[in-house]
Amino acid sequence: MRRPINKNMRRGMAGKTLGPQEWIGIPALLVMAATLIMATNIPLPWGLVLPEPVWAVALAFSWPLIRPSYVAPFILAVLGLFLDFFWGAPLGFYVLLLMAVFAVTFLIRSYIVGQDMAIIATVYVVTIIGFFVMGTVLTTLYAGQVPRLWGVGEQMLATLVTVPVMWGLLDKYLHADVRFQ
Amino acid sequence: MPYGEKSSFEAIKLPLTWGIMVIVAGICVIGVLLFLGDKRAEMTPATYGQRAAFDQVAGPANNLLSTPAHWVGGITGWFDDYLFAVSENRRLRKEVAELSRYKTDYLQARELNRRYETLLQLRTDPEVAMVTARSVSVSRGPFNNSRLINAGSADGVKFGHPVINEQGLVGRVVGTAPQVSRVLNVTDVVSRVPVVVSRTDARAIMSGDGGGYPRLEFVRGKDAVKKGDQVMTSGDGGMFPRGLPVGEVVPGVDGGWRIHLYTNRGPIDMVKILKYDDFTNLPDYTILNAPPVTDVLPPPPSSSSASSSGSASPASSSASAAARPAAQAASSASAQAAPRPASVATPPVARPQTAPVTPAAASPADGG
Repeated sequence: MRRPINKNMRRGMAGKTLGPQEWIGIPALLVMAATLIMATNIPLPWGLVLPEPVWAVALAFSWPLIRPSYVAPFILAVLGLFLDFFWGAPLGFYVLLLMAVFAVTFLIRSYIVGQDMAIIATVYVVTIIGFFVMGTVLTTLYAGQVPRLWGVGEQMLATLVTVPVMWGLLDKYLHADVRFQ
Repeated sequence: MPYGEKSSFEAIKLPLTWGIMVIVAGICVIGVLLFLGDKRAEMTPATYGQRAAFDQVAGPANNLLSTPAHWVGGITGWFDDYLFAVSENRRLRKEVAELSRYKTDYLQARELNRRYETLLQLRTDPEVAMVTARSVSVSRGPFNNSRLINAGSADGVKFGHPVINEQGLVGRVVGTAPQVSRVLNVTDVVSRVPVVVSRTDARAIMSGDGGGYPRLEFVRGKDAVKKGDQVMTSGDGGMFPRGLPVGEVVPGVDGGWRIHLYTNRGPIDMVKILKYDDFTNLPDYTILNAPPVTDVLPPPPSSSSASSSGSASPASSSASAAARPAAQAASSASAQAAPRPASVATPPVARPQTAPVTPAAASPADGG
């Protein structure tokens, strides 16, 4: 029987391959769970409330850096619709915001991948700022009322807690599969 | 096909970058269409239908998550009660002693008020049935302020019902599922609530902006507002009943007036949904046919008769009373001049019986 000479190599590579469910599906489910938990109405002392970070921004930034994928935009759109429904936003609001982050990151991925963490984190912070600026503009166009900018800043700060999430995703999946190189 | 050779499907080479960008562009186009087609400000029970199923699932999930937190909160509250029982008892004794002084005055004033209402045949608002619910989920962001409560259409909750808590107005119901309802907070950017400044009776619109201090806009009257004025719902537009406490006026850093909501005093946990629809929820329609107040009040002395006959008011009053049925059609003029309480100056007028008009949907200029 003819045996390909690279069979063992292929077997080794196959053991390191990652399916989309690992770097797309599971993080998406975790983001949905985190959003659900943070939206729980838990009365806290001293008038404090749980923060409301937009966890999905971390995925919209990380996925195009990890690997170009046909599946990721669809899952991200589903996440955006989930946020629209769950937070009572107009349909398409978070879909557009997340897609904008995904598209911009995807276009500049060749400049980001391989950079130092400080550079990537800086780009991510700029992305978050752009996300909320676009959200403010869309809300103003939609409601005819400028949302409270201090509140926008508060949620922006809350979303900065997703920096470790973004870093964790890149650290875990960026070089996890030789096909991703 | 020999192992290692590419199948025809694998041989297809799609331009990855362009392919993904086409997908992203397509999703963006769909997102724009969804965004342009979804007007929360014009939300009706029909448009909410697509979200009801989602809320029906999300509500119990969040209820499940919040239940342990409430258990822990209850336990810590029990410890707090136990540890601070003595100091609280002293404080409450002092408070009871202070309030006892007002109790007699209150009872006398209430009885006097009841007599006045009977005498004037005032059409006071009927009792409104309520449903108590718990807030199980909340979105607090600057772009959306809404919450899910665990009472729905199965409990009689309908689109547009006002929602209050022990402090004041929370919002209104914008969607119902059988067990869950979505409440649009008064702080949401699309929320518009017609309000009245209780001190001056000046009408205004409270516009949410995503924060805890909504704007007070379109204030009618000069110097109608000052810091500390109490604001309540005006009832204009028919969405909210008149008199629900909202908050106090505070000057904003932007130079305008804002409202410090009473609901900012504590977390919003338990809420009450007022089953207030419109005049359709009056328990007795016949009270709409009660005679107007002008029929039971003595007519005002006219300037000509007062100057000519002097103290003939009793006679003119009785004459006027005798001629009242004939002069019913012309009584509007005397009604405007009649000295009577401001609260009865405008007898209840049937509000539009059409589909509920959301405060947010109406433009600020029309007071809705």
